[in-house]
Amino acid sequence: MGLTDLVALLSSDAAIQIIASIVKILIIVVLCLQIPPIMVWAERRAPAMMQRRKGPNRVGIGKFRLYGLLQSAADAVKLIFKEEVVPTGANKVVYHIAPIFSVFTAFLVACAIPYGNDITVFGQQISLSPIRLDVGFLFILAMSSLAVYGVTLAGWASNNKYSLLGSLRASAQMISYEIPLGMSLIPLVIIFGTLDLNKMVIAQSAFPWSWGVVRAPISFFLFFICMFAETNRSPFDLAEGESELVAGFHTEYNSAKFAAFFLSEYVAMFVLSALAATVFFGGWQVPFVPYDLLLKIAFGLDWLAALVGFLFLLLKAGFFMWVYVWVRWTLPRFRYDQLMALGWKFMLPIGLFNLLITALVVAIFDTVTRH
Amino acid sequence: MSQELLFYAFAGLIALCSVMVVTSRNPVISAIFLVGDLFLLAGLYASMEAHFVAAIQILVYAGAIVVLFMFVIMLLNLDPDQRSQVQIAAPEVGILALTVIAFAVVGGMLVFGQPTGVSGEMTAEAIKGAGGNTFTVGMVLYTKYLWPFELASMLIMLAIIAAIVIAKKDRPKSATDGDKRRLAHG
Repeated sequence: MGLTDLVALLSSDAAIQIIASIVKILIIVVLCLQIPPIMVWAERRAPAMMQRRKGPNRVGIGKFRLYGLLQSAADAVKLIFKEEVVPTGANKVVYHIAPIFSVFTAFLVACAIPYGNDITVFGQQISLSPIRLDVGFLFILAMSSLAVYGVTLAGWASNNKYSLLGSLRASAQMISYEIPLGMSLIPLVIIFGTLDLNKMVIAQSAFPWSWGVVRAPISFFLFFICMFAETNRSPFDLAEGESELVAGFHTEYNSAKFAAFFLSEYVAMFVLSALAATVFFGGWQVPFVPYDLLLKIAFGLDWLAALVGFLFLLLKAGFFMWVYVWVRWTLPRFRYDQLMALGWKFMLPIGLFNLLITALVVAIFDTVTRH
Repeated sequence: MSQELLFYAFAGLIALCSVMVVTSRNPVISAIFLVGDLFLLAGLYASMEAHFVAAIQILVYAGAIVVLFMFVIMLLNLDPDQRSQVQIAAPEVGILALTVIAFAVVGGMLVFGQPTGVSGEMTAEAIKGAGGNTFTVGMVLYTKYLWPFELASMLIMLAIIAAIVIAKKDRPKSATDGDKRRLAHG
C-alpha cells in the first residue's frame, strides 16, 4: 500500500468519524482521571480553610509548593504500589470484577455528556460527546442505574459483614433515589420536548432566564438532593458510616482496587455535576453570549467556540463539585430511616406532583399558543 | 453487512451468556451473566435502531429487577454444600424436551414468522421519518394501545399493593397487646 492510498483511506468519511471517536474517548478518559487527584486536594484544603487550619501544603516540586497540589500525586503513587491483600474466603472472581464494573459504568456515563456544540472537521459533522444518541438522556439514567452492581458485588464478594451491610445500605439507597432523580428530570424532557442532551442545551439558549433552573425550580431542588444521595456522599454517606461500618462496601479493598472505587465515585460526582450544569444551567452555553455571537467572536472558528463552551461547562460543573465538598464539611450525617423516609415519603410525592403540574402547564400553554 | 455482523456478534454472546446463567454453580455468578445477557440484548435493540427500547431495557431490567434478584440471592446466601445437593432428577429428559421445543419455535418462526422492522408500516426508515423512536413509541402507546397500557399499569399497581399487604406484619394495636404476645411466645 502506497502513501497516497493510506492518505485516501484516512481521509474517508468513516475513517474521520472513527478517528474522531477515538480522540474523544481519550480526551474524556484523561479528563476523568484528573478529577480524583484535584478533588482529593480540594477536599483537604477546603475543610482546612473552613476550620482555619493550613491543611496539606508541603508537597511540591523543589521550592514550588503549589499549595500542596502534588500531595494527591504522592497519594496516587502510594495507592498503586501498596501491597494487595485479598481476604480469605472472598469470592476471587467477583472480588476482582466489582471495581472494574464500577469504573466502567462511571466512564460510560461520562461519555454521554455533551461537552460542546457540533463542530465540522474536514467537512464531517462531529459531535463533542463520544456517545451521541437521540435518547442520550435515557442512556445516562440507564447506565448510572448499573453503578449499583459494582457496590453490591464488592460488598458480597469481600466476605465481611461490614462490607455486606454497607453494600446493602448503599444499593438500597441508590435504587431508592434513582426514582426521584428520574422524576426530577422528566419535567425538563416535557418542557424542552427532546431526549437529546445537546438539543436540550441549545433549547435553553444563552440567557439565564430561559435555563432549566428557572423553568423548573422544583425539579432542580429534587435533583440537587438526589445528586448527593446517588453518589453516597455526605450528608447521605451512611453506606460508609465509619462509626458503624468501618468503611462500608470497600472495607476489604486496598491498593489499586480501592483506587478504582475512589475514581468511580469522583467520576460519578463529576457526571452528576455536569448533568446538573447541562440540564439546569445551559450546559456549554456562555451566559449572555448566544452561540452565533460566540462564533463571530471566535473568528468564525467553530472549534474555538466549542472549546470556550467546553471550558464554561467545566466551570459550571466545577461549581457543583465545590458544593459537594462544601456540603460534606457543613452538614452532619443523616440517620438511615430518615434517609429512606425522605426519599420515599417526601421526594417521590413532590416529584410526582411536580411532573403533573408541569405536564398540565405545558399542555395548556401549547393549546393556547396553537389557537 | 455491518448490521448483520453486529447481529451475529450480539446473538452469539447472548447465547453464550444464557448458557452460563443456567450452568453456573454459584447463583451470584448466574445473576452477573444475566445482567450481561440483558446488556447484550439492549445492544441488539440498539443495532436495530430501537434506541428507546434499548435504554429502557437496561434501565428497568438490568438496573432494577436483577438488582433485586441479587439482593435475594445474597441475603439467602446458600452454602456450597446445600447448593451441590440440588440435583436435577433426569437432565437427559429436560435436554431432550428443550431441544424439541427449540426446534418447534425456530421452525415455526421460519415458516410462519415475519421479520419485524423490515416489512409493514413500522420500518426503521418510517420511524425515523415520523419523528424518531421515542416519539413513535409514545404516540402508539397513548393512542392505539391506550386501554391495554392503562390496564397493565393498574394491574402492576394492584400487584405492588398486594405485595405490601402480604409482607406487612401485624402490628400490635397497643403496647399491652404486644407485651401479651411476647409473653405468650415465652
